Amino acid sequence: MKNLIPYFTLGYPDNETLMKFLKVIPVNKINYLEFGFPSNDPRYDGPVIRETHKIGNKNFRDDLYDEFFSYFHKNGIKMYSLSYYSDIKPRFSEFIDYLQTRNFSGIIIPDLIIDYYSEAKDTIDYLNKNGFEYIPFFSPATPDKIITGISELTDSWIYYGLQPSTGIDIPYELDYTTERINSLLPGREITYGFGIKTEEDIKSLMRNGGSGVAIGTYLEKMLEKNDEGGFLGYIDKMRGVLDA
Amino acid sequence: MISSINKDIMPENWYNVVPDLPEPLAPPKDSKSEFSSINLLNKILPKEILKQEFTFRRYEKIPDEVIEQYKQIGRPTPLIRAKNLEKFLNYNGKIFYKYEGATATGSHKINTAIPQAYYARNEGVNGVTTETGAGQWGSATALAASLYKLPAQIFMVRISFEQKPLRKIVMNLYNGNVVPSPSNLTEYGRRVLKEHPDTPGTLGIGISEAIEYALDHDYRYMVASVMNVALTHQSVVGQEAKKQLELLGEHADVLIGCVGGGSNFGGFTFPFIPDNPDTEIIATTADEVPKFSKGEYKYDLMDTAGVLPEMRMYSLGADFVPPTIYAGGLRYHGASPSLSLLINKGRIKSDEVTQEEVTEALRIFANTQGIIAAPESGHAIATMLKYVKEHKNDKKTIVVNVSGHGLLDMSIFGDKP
Ligand SMILES: Cc1ncc(COP(=O)(O)O)c(C=O)c1O
Repeated sequence: MKNLIPYFTLGYPDNETLMKFLKVIPVNKINYLEFGFPSNDPRYDGPVIRETHKIGNKNFRDDLYDEFFSYFHKNGIKMYSLSYYSDIKPRFSEFIDYLQTRNFSGIIIPDLIIDYYSEAKDTIDYLNKNGFEYIPFFSPATPDKIITGISELTDSWIYYGLQPSTGIDIPYELDYTTERINSLLPGREITYGFGIKTEEDIKSLMRNGGSGVAIGTYLEKMLEKNDEGGFLGYIDKMRGVLDA
Repeated sequence: MISSINKDIMPENWYNVVPDLPEPLAPPKDSKSEFSSINLLNKILPKEILKQEFTFRRYEKIPDEVIEQYKQIGRPTPLIRAKNLEKFLNYNGKIFYKYEGATATGSHKINTAIPQAYYARNEGVNGVTTETGAGQWGSATALAASLYKLPAQIFMVRISFEQKPLRKIVMNLYNGNVVPSPSNLTEYGRRVLKEHPDTPGTLGIGISEAIEYALDHDYRYMVASVMNVALTHQSVVGQEAKKQLELLGEHADVLIGCVGGGSNFGGFTFPFIPDNPDTEIIATTADEVPKFSKGEYKYDLMDTAGVLPEMRMYSLGADFVPPTIYAGGLRYHGASPSLSLLINKGRIKSDEVTQEEVTEALRIFANTQGIIAAPESGHAIATMLKYVKEHKNDKKTIVVNVSGHGLLDMSIFGDKP
């Protein structure tokens, strides 16, 4: 089964609305969840997600979501944190501890290999030692040797952003993209994200060996509008596309 | 000299350094919170150019029609061993120069102007627009647009407009419209003029005006430099040089070029990066624009108005107004992100030279090799002369990129040439 991975920034648009949506997520239709911990500088995200961080930062209370985390865990949904290293670096081990006690499986750190490349190996080693998955995040700008080198440090799945940042719509060559990543990392589980819009794109990505998609910008817009029906319909539709 | 055996020297692909960088390039960053300046590029650049800007393809096929135009404007350009200069300097090693001044518009700029105008034409837009400093880029844009029958609106930095009236005539001859920038053609230009009526202008202001003009007139903006796509197109320079050296049985120990935004430098040196780890590479800037030694490696605006996304690069600040040096093409506040990363990681070294050193270098080069190089290129030549002085007995093979001729910049010599 292909992975459907909805993304939410914690605290956006407000705690009540987000909790309401989390309650109705059909757990049999999704595989993983990605939670953005509000960042002070979400610089590799596009305008929509950046805004969610700004608002999330004001609202987020870490006690509110614990019951959801254990609910998803009990239902077999793996949870991943999306966190910027610039935010968590000063209290890194504490933060990983926090995530582990809440049954998160791993972490995606978009700025680690871009802004802190010299610290990447030690950071990944630390996560490995603690039995916490490090999900490599790559984009079209990631050099070939970095893709292979960083991937060797972990066994986990790979998060591949198709665009320079979330919610951006710049022309790209889908077939060539998957061909490149497949040839650099043969047999690896690759999840695509960042600016995926059309069903046709999702179908092509899966046909070319992709193992799943992460959806963020589009969902956040529905949360903002408090559009529960649209949200449920969209998850349903995406599940169908992935299973087709 | 090997110049006219086209077939074996001209590459079939452009080379893009991004997949071969030692660390990931930081992505462009939206400079505004209300809208995505990255998405806005969809309306500013031809689609194909945008795709090439963000591609990770190591090799991008050069369209046949572009290859044909490259031949028409004089590619491949010559790689010449500067024997007279070697003798003059008593140098035991070898000095070669790649001469981009031999193209139709007299500089490397035409190498990216042609494909950009070609893709714009294919997409059926109303015209193209850009900024120009010294006028080299404006001339290349005007010619390329004219070859594809597109109108061209060019914003020329005011101080250069005043210092280099002949350039304007060249651009007009190629059917380009030229105005001094800041101008009254754009909202942004009018604002700058009101606040600073005596401003000499900057490339940053010119870029902002051209982009505003493109958005308002369904024109496309032509990227002179800084952005990756321009460096990729310029890779024809380095790929040819590599091939020419190979045919001569030579190996480059040292590569030297000048940096404005980084296009001639990146185009010349990057093709050597993957398989020449021992080649020393030196980027020269003007002493008055010390971006690599005094600039900061950070996200900064490419244009003064902040319409384009921010890029991580060495920068003196987008509102930096450099002194009015003759090498107008070197007055830009930043440098291409890929070049900046390679400098930051120590793969590429940098040097700075003064106007006096440049004028002296241009004199020596003219008197030995007969070539009157562009003031910008004079910076690279000056660094090469310094290098030779410091490595007299090393017997190295040095290759310099002479990015353009200086026949329209003679005023640099004052009244005592
Ligand atoms: C002859 C010449 N060389 C070099 C430059 C610097 O630009 P870049 O660094 O993009 O090559 C210019 C720019 O106008 C130029 O005209």
